[in-house]
Amino acid sequence: MSQERHPTEDLPAYALGALDKDERDVIALHIETCETCARDVAQFEEALFEAAAVGAVNVDPPADLRTRIVLRHRGARVPSATSWGERVIEFLRAPVPAAIPIALAILLVVAFGVVGASRQQADTYARALAGVADGRVVALAPTGANPDARAAVVIPTQGSAYLIVRLPAPPAGKAWEAWVLKPGTPGPVAVPAGTSERGDVFTLSLSAPLGAGDGVAITLEPASGSAQPTTQPVLAVAKT
Amino acid sequence: MESGRVLSRRIAARARVPADTVESSGEKPRVVVPDKADDVKLVERIAGGDADALGELYDRYGRLAFGVLYRMLPRPEAAEEVAQDAFHSIWRQARSYRAERGSVRTWLLAICRNAAIDWRRTRGKRLEREVTIEAAAELLSDAKVDERVVDRLRAEHVRAVVGRLPREQREVLALAFWGGYSQSEIAARTNTPLGTVKSRVRLALNKLRESLEDER
Repeated sequence: MSQERHPTEDLPAYALGALDKDERDVIALHIETCETCARDVAQFEEALFEAAAVGAVNVDPPADLRTRIVLRHRGARVPSATSWGERVIEFLRAPVPAAIPIALAILLVVAFGVVGASRQQADTYARALAGVADGRVVALAPTGANPDARAAVVIPTQGSAYLIVRLPAPPAGKAWEAWVLKPGTPGPVAVPAGTSERGDVFTLSLSAPLGAGDGVAITLEPASGSAQPTTQPVLAVAKT
Repeated sequence: MESGRVLSRRIAARARVPADTVESSGEKPRVVVPDKADDVKLVERIAGGDADALGELYDRYGRLAFGVLYRMLPRPEAAEEVAQDAFHSIWRQARSYRAERGSVRTWLLAICRNAAIDWRRTRGKRLEREVTIEAAAELLSDAKVDERVVDRLRAEHVRAVVGRLPREQREVLALAFWGGYSQSEIAARTNTPLGTVKSRVRLALNKLRESLEDER
């Protein structure tokens, strides 16, 4: 942790909500794993919201607002997204492309490329996918936090599975970490399967065995590696 | 630039009740002294699916949350809509609340603030999304605080601390917090170099944290 670069100067603006989206995302990822910066942000927020309480308008809320809030939730289920594995399940409930043919994957990549990052990056990614001689390609779905991210698991007919990834370079002291998700209860068990500190388009070999029906996810972790995922996945697929 | 006194009169006029309602109502004000352990227990009950606990949390902080939203948003109906959304988010996120990362009150107000920003960006009509620089220029108003939600002596201390900040620093805090402007937007709208805006934010919040933490 001590070797990491802490975004100390931007933490007040982050607590204030005054950063632009890109800057905000970087710090949000950082404080997921950095207790020092998370504590600083919490202290700034405590002070800020104390001042805001004095600046708030003194007004009665509608008389029935409380009733409406309570009734809306009486008998409702609380989302069970507590552990990382459960949060992944929650995330994977969104429509996710499962296995798709290589040709379709390439078409999707090219189509996404003109919307997202540079066309050159998209082309590089597409060429990498097109270079897969045999086997199966399963696309991972990007989360809302990083919609331009792309990755696909390549499962060759012979040899180990690997990932073709398109992601920006991780912040200093961080790395992209791949996980194989084994079925478990209540949520999948994440097995570390390799890290990369690279950005742009790169490949990442899966060091953990990928069984039939296992999932794959990529998270941002400290460069020294994590025993368990500590942040939300940037890309994931429920089953390969 | 609008003075704090003029601004507070405008805010009080916008509110559907006068700023001194608490004193004139004849009711004895009940100061909410946040009991952090109690708050955490409430959130745990919410995480367990107890809707009545959500109601109890509303009893503690609903009025404050509504007052914050009322100032951030252009219409009372918007504040009402966003308050419901925010309490729904509290219901959904209760299990991810981490006490070591801040008080329940701050967590709840942060959810409300984010919901208001989201409303302005996605659901507000185009003209409503913009809060004028003048309307958001002061972090505090000088209207009387509601003693049901803020302790009067503590509020006076907060006023003194904020009052000691240079005007430019108070202004950037207010524009970002109440107006929802980013540092780069504030720089563009106030014709101030971005680096200057950033350093004002940094200095102001560091001073605020240091001063309010001393006596917390």
